[in-house]
Amino acid sequence: MQIPVVQKVLAANDLLASEMRAEFEKFGLFVVNIMGSPGAGKTSLIEQTLSRAGDLKIGVVEGDLATSLDAERIAKHGVPVVQINTGGACHLDASMVRKALDRIDVTSLDVLIIENVGNLVCPVSFDLGETARVVVCSIPEGDDKVLKYPAIFSSASVVVLNKIDISPYVSFDLVKFEESVANIGRRLIKISCSSGDGLENWMKWLRTRQV
Amino acid sequence: MHELGITQNVLSIVLKEAAKARASRVTKVSLKVGEWSTVEPDCLRFYFGILAKGTLAEGAEVAVEQVPVAYACENCGHEYIPLVSVFACPRCSSHKGKLITGRELFVDSIEVENADSSSAKSSGSE
Repeated sequence: MQIPVVQKVLAANDLLASEMRAEFEKFGLFVVNIMGSPGAGKTSLIEQTLSRAGDLKIGVVEGDLATSLDAERIAKHGVPVVQINTGGACHLDASMVRKALDRIDVTSLDVLIIENVGNLVCPVSFDLGETARVVVCSIPEGDDKVLKYPAIFSSASVVVLNKIDISPYVSFDLVKFEESVANIGRRLIKISCSSGDGLENWMKWLRTRQV
Repeated sequence: MHELGITQNVLSIVLKEAAKARASRVTKVSLKVGEWSTVEPDCLRFYFGILAKGTLAEGAEVAVEQVPVAYACENCGHEYIPLVSVFACPRCSSHKGKLITGRELFVDSIEVENADSSSAKSSGSE
């Protein structure tokens, strides 16, 4: 006999994430889930953000497979930071973030940045209770990423293209990339964490917090 | 690579429902998996075969219905399946498409043997 079930496989994650989201909303915390490939510049973007934060109070949750290298980089900026080591896991899930929140006082913050594990696939499926998702890409990764990984780009509010300072040395069709981001209906912010180009646009987005 | 954990969740849902129905064996598990759910059906089947060993669901067929990505245009309301690399609305060319299907990941139904039908009826969806 057939038994109807209709149960979400990730129901536990989704429930926890929506509880966290409700909590964040209660005290007006803007939570950004930063996703992208290893080496795209997610941590560099966070560092640049922190040095331009002014009176914006930001806390950081750092996801990584191993090491606390990223958290150490962030801690130098004098902001609250928690490292999550996933062991081998390819993404952060809501329970990991929930645990991290025990070690950071988010009630005094304006913005919480969560740096996801470097990966353009798995993080898509796991709601972390975030307000906005951002995908960071970079010039050396190639101009075809939006076409190849549409799910993650479509789940984000903003696409950040990093390392634009090295575009003269790398074969990267900027027009094609811009078209593919526009095509999936997302906003593109072009930056260089090395030269500082475009970061004012990124900060403007973060300050207005328009998803 | 997160299919292993996901398959563990699938199995625990299946076993809980089978126990509720007092089934002696699970013969089929039907799943709905969105095209953009980041889950590979073959991989899920493979893990299910391993994890289900020694349980009521050992040897159960895992049927996966893939749900295509579909968008609804926020401009004109048209619902459409986007083509590879073309996400604009085919009717009004707007890029304000919102994903309406394609991220599903759920256990739709199971087929069992020797179930106590009175308790099976009371299980249903949650």
